[in-house]
Amino acid sequence: MLEVRNLTKAFGGKSALRDVSFKLEKGEIYGLLGHNGAGKSTSLGIILGMVEPDVGEVEIGGISVQRNRGQALRKVGAIFEAPAFYDYMSGWENLRILMGYSGGFDARAAREVVERVGLTKRISSKVRTYSHGMRQRLALAQALLPEPELLLLDEPTDGLDPEGIKWFRDFILQLREERGMTVLFNSHLLAEVELMCDRVAILREGQRVFEGSVNRIRDGVPTYQVSLETWEKGAEIVRSLGGEIIAQDKIALPAEIDPAQFVERLVHAGVKVREFARVRRSLEDVYMEILDGKGSPN
Amino acid sequence: MIFLQQLRGELRKLFARPRTWMGYGAFLIMEVVILMVYKLERSQQHMRGLVERNGLEFGTYYSSLTITFTIMLLSMFLLGSIYFALVAGDIVAKENEDGNLRMVFARPITRLRLLLVKYTAICLYTFSFVFFVGVSGYAMAVWAVGWEGGLFVMEPKMKVFAAYPRWSEGAARLALSAAGIGISMITLSSIAFMFSCFRIKPAAAAIITLTILFVDMILQNFPFFKPYESWFVTWRMSAWVYLMEQQISWPKIVESYSVLVGLNVSLFTIGWLAFQTRDFKT
Repeated sequence: MLEVRNLTKAFGGKSALRDVSFKLEKGEIYGLLGHNGAGKSTSLGIILGMVEPDVGEVEIGGISVQRNRGQALRKVGAIFEAPAFYDYMSGWENLRILMGYSGGFDARAAREVVERVGLTKRISSKVRTYSHGMRQRLALAQALLPEPELLLLDEPTDGLDPEGIKWFRDFILQLREERGMTVLFNSHLLAEVELMCDRVAILREGQRVFEGSVNRIRDGVPTYQVSLETWEKGAEIVRSLGGEIIAQDKIALPAEIDPAQFVERLVHAGVKVREFARVRRSLEDVYMEILDGKGSPN
Repeated sequence: MIFLQQLRGELRKLFARPRTWMGYGAFLIMEVVILMVYKLERSQQHMRGLVERNGLEFGTYYSSLTITFTIMLLSMFLLGSIYFALVAGDIVAKENEDGNLRMVFARPITRLRLLLVKYTAICLYTFSFVFFVGVSGYAMAVWAVGWEGGLFVMEPKMKVFAAYPRWSEGAARLALSAAGIGISMITLSSIAFMFSCFRIKPAAAAIITLTILFVDMILQNFPFFKPYESWFVTWRMSAWVYLMEQQISWPKIVESYSVLVGLNVSLFTIGWLAFQTRDFKT
């Protein structure tokens, strides 16, 4: 659905992106992570044709954005952090104007979308009277109106309250479920990315330093929290199984070792087990490892 | 069809902004002031002297048409230019500053088309504004001195002098001159539009435009530049005055407006090239 190939871009001699590539399959939700200035927004700008890459190309549905932007963006919707509407006009007028740039305004379709995002009562009010959450709903409405197959989300939940964030997440997941929509999700909120995305890429200083599925990140090397009465004996068993002692109460075991067997061996050896639990790595753990330079680029 | 829909949207945006209406308000106030001045005895005596020295009857030419012509002659280049520069300087730069452009760029519209829509809107705004000043000035003048009477034209700088005793002929010439002023002022809007396409603050686009206009006007009045006056934009923009001549000098008008049209196309092209090669980061 979206293919980003070898993007390289510098602004005034300062490198913003270096040979970044990634690919989104239809119906996939893909997270783009990185610190400020890592190149996420530049990537999005190039995908939308707002920024011209020095090297590389973006294809949406097989059509090059750089060579045929109008055709490539026909079925694309985008939402930005703090979306800038024409504040002195109503939400409805904003939709009408923005849809004019997409080739036409269908009032019936607009009413349906407005209803769906829950803005019907306030759609005739001036946008300057809207709360941040309402602006995001209007942003979602304008992004959905061209009936997009690809949705680009740039920090869409920044500044929303927890209820707003949950509503937004559920809405996007529902869209994917109903329409098989492909989503590129650019965010700082790692927990949100983990909950929404199938795969993620991490950018650091303009380079892609990680790409992988969220499940793979979660599973990784099995790690366990253990509390034993006699630690020395337990550590010996861990090592004999090819495991690793990470800390006094934390161990890693090879994936092929059944944790039940491990506990059984401890009990047989007379080691009293007070606590044993699987520790799941979060996306945040992986993100911090990679940005601290501990993780290996792939 | 889609272009018209986009143009309608652009005009809706333009006229929904309070700044766009500032100029209309300012001109209405100015027209009231000019009419009050015209009602003063001393002002009427001055005009009487001017008309009668040319062997004409004051009563015929102390009229709503003459007052409207004076309002347009005096105000459009000085006061009008400020609002044209402000509005045209805003049309791209302000949207970029406010972040609206990135919402637009998420749409499948080309940059050239976007600029064409905006430029057309600015041309329509400029043209309609001139007509608004003409119509509102005339309406107020009718309220003050009545609708009857002819049109007296005296523009020493361009050496144009004319008198139209019949109302119908005077009104037709006044309407023609409004069209001429409208076309002339599009050049000013084009300068501001071009700067608006650069990486620039909206206010800077307006200030640079006004600076160019006023420097051009000042230099044009230097005796040294008299032989080169046709090279000045403001001199070309004043060509509309020839539409008021008893025998219209069409070759002079066509020449000047051809230069202005060529200049407008060049200004648009430069603006477009600057806009096309810019990166717009989200």
